[in-house]
Amino acid sequence: MINDKNSKKIVDIIQDFSRRHSLFVLAYGTGCGAIEIPPTMTSRYDAERFGIRGMATPRQADLLLITGYLASKTLKRVIRAYEQMQDPKYVIGFGSCTINGGMYWDSYNTIKILSDYIPVDVYINGCMPRPEAVITGFIELQNLIKEGKANGAQKYKENLEWYRENQKKVIKDWKMPDYNW
Amino acid sequence: MNIWITILGFLATVFLAFVVGVFYGGFVRKITARVQNRVGPPVYQNFLDIVKLYSKKTAINHGWMQHLGPAFAITASVTSLMFIPILNGTGWFPWFENLNFKGDLIFLLYMMVFGSLGMALGAGQTGNPNSAIGVSRGLSQMVGYEIPWVLALVALMLQTKTTSLTGLLDYQVSNGTWMMFESPFAFVAAVLAMLGMFHYAPFDVPFAPAELSSGPASEFGGKYLALMMSSGSIFSFVKLVLIVDVFMGGASNLIMLVVKTFALYMIPVLYGIVSPRYRTEQSIRYFWGWPTFIGILGVIYAVFVR
Amino acid sequence: MTDTILDKEQKLVQLLEQTFKKLSGKVVRQRRVTVSVEKELVPSVLSYAKSQLGYIHLSHMSCVDWPENNNFEIIYILWSPADKVQLFIKTLINRENPEIDNVDMIWKHANTYEREIREMYGIQFNGLVGAQEFILEDWDDMPPMRRDFDTVEYVDDNYTFRPGREDAGDVREEIVKRSGEDIPDFAKKYSRD
Ligand code: SF4
Repeated sequence: MINDKNSKKIVDIIQDFSRRHSLFVLAYGTGCGAIEIPPTMTSRYDAERFGIRGMATPRQADLLLITGYLASKTLKRVIRAYEQMQDPKYVIGFGSCTINGGMYWDSYNTIKILSDYIPVDVYINGCMPRPEAVITGFIELQNLIKEGKANGAQKYKENLEWYRENQKKVIKDWKMPDYNW
Repeated sequence: MNIWITILGFLATVFLAFVVGVFYGGFVRKITARVQNRVGPPVYQNFLDIVKLYSKKTAINHGWMQHLGPAFAITASVTSLMFIPILNGTGWFPWFENLNFKGDLIFLLYMMVFGSLGMALGAGQTGNPNSAIGVSRGLSQMVGYEIPWVLALVALMLQTKTTSLTGLLDYQVSNGTWMMFESPFAFVAAVLAMLGMFHYAPFDVPFAPAELSSGPASEFGGKYLALMMSSGSIFSFVKLVLIVDVFMGGASNLIMLVVKTFALYMIPVLYGIVSPRYRTEQSIRYFWGWPTFIGILGVIYAVFVR
Repeated sequence: MTDTILDKEQKLVQLLEQTFKKLSGKVVRQRRVTVSVEKELVPSVLSYAKSQLGYIHLSHMSCVDWPENNNFEIIYILWSPADKVQLFIKTLINRENPEIDNVDMIWKHANTYEREIREMYGIQFNGLVGAQEFILEDWDDMPPMRRDFDTVEYVDDNYTFRPGREDAGDVREEIVKRSGEDIPDFAKKYSRD
């Protein structure tokens, strides 16, 4: 994906363009921020203009949207969903809770920094971010894809041990296969 | 030489069906968005989706049937496309006559089910419970709408005394009428069955994304989904052209074809946008009610009145 | 005035105190009565209230930790649709050996509350059937709702704080320093001090 600008072939240009403009979102809506997704998708803000569309399963999705706090229990499911997504895949952390814990900064069962556990391409701050902010985040991701910088999945694969170590610190009873594709 | 022209024509037809089908999909999304007071994606959005899905990597394997399922689906759509006269007369696509034979309407009835069966097998292999539920719902719903559909076609065959598509077209051209006026009950039954055939709301329970996480397709991502989307686009074009051929006298040029198919396509689309979703047994009850009754009326009309 | 209005509440307290000797009741206000009992008496008081007095609904069941007195307090909140009175039944149990009788044969849904209390406070309900794990997964520390459980310390051990967010302090100064923008006027109104 990261090609030299000059050696970019026409196929790559088409591929990149379609990748940018067709993002299938898997919204992991456990946090309160999930309430901002319906307005973003429906008539007032209409994210479908940018080709952003909800998808129901991780297999079909390109973009994992983590809306808000993640309990250590749900982290396990998020990791599974993330690893089941097919490359190229991106993650957006949504709300202060994914950045630094937000108002749950001292809670015993929510993780504090999402990017310790799965690679995050774009963070949207706010508690909770308004639909404008959400759409700005999507556009930021599109720009990152255009510049070839949205390579969180690659980072995850290269630093799998580090991520696993962090994940296993929280998920004590690791009953999953080592990597579930 | 001749064989090359046939192959070229075949490829051109598949390409045409793909492009038209995908653009229709884009229009549907746009129209849905406008009805819901949204701006909606651009019309070429479905192309971007398909290109992106083809360019995704695939790292899953549930067994060889999973690979074959989408392949079955696209085979079925392309094969049915080959047996349908796109334009009537011998102006533009003369190679179709080679593939026409007596009884190809009956053959098409079987061929159009083949894709769904292939998908069902493929989805069954993935072992996802949502797929299994979606497949069982889809197949039961198919049992529902196949009955008025077959009744409508049987009425036509009885009336025109032919089982071949070209025969039907010739009948309409030589008599100067359309079958939808000759045999109105059959047309109504076929249109009602068509609502179910396109799987738009209210008959979208096999794919219900909110409850079944998109049903049979839930384990299929990337290339598989792209194949399924392409085959769906081609197949919707096939169904539209078939109904246009059978009931509306075919089309003599491409512009007429687009106008007729698009007008026909708007029936399930617009009906779907404003409808909620039926449960499986409700939709079966719906299809076995009035549509079947009208289909039987059509048969009676064809046998006794005409 | 109060006498006439609090009639049915006082009658309820009287009735309960006559029936059970080791019980002290108190009318809190209109339509609210608290009753303290010993923990051995709890099942009989509950079933008596349910079958004889018409308190057929268990609205809630909760627990309070009192490390000062070395006690846990279990509270059953009952509701009578006929009287329209809320009856709070409280009992104290020792913190060292927290044990109490299970009441899910009186109300089935008490089972869920009991499992939650067992997990969050570590209280044993004698005869309670149900999976040990309820909400928490692989929890191996002290039950987290006890007041001597130090969440900040636990978080420090198990998660990493993002620098600048180790406490609930005001971070606006820090933001100003990093971004070089001023605090807007409207935001100054909501200062923490
Ligand atoms: S950032 Fe705020 S709105 Fe979002 S999940 Fe956290 S607390 Fe809820």
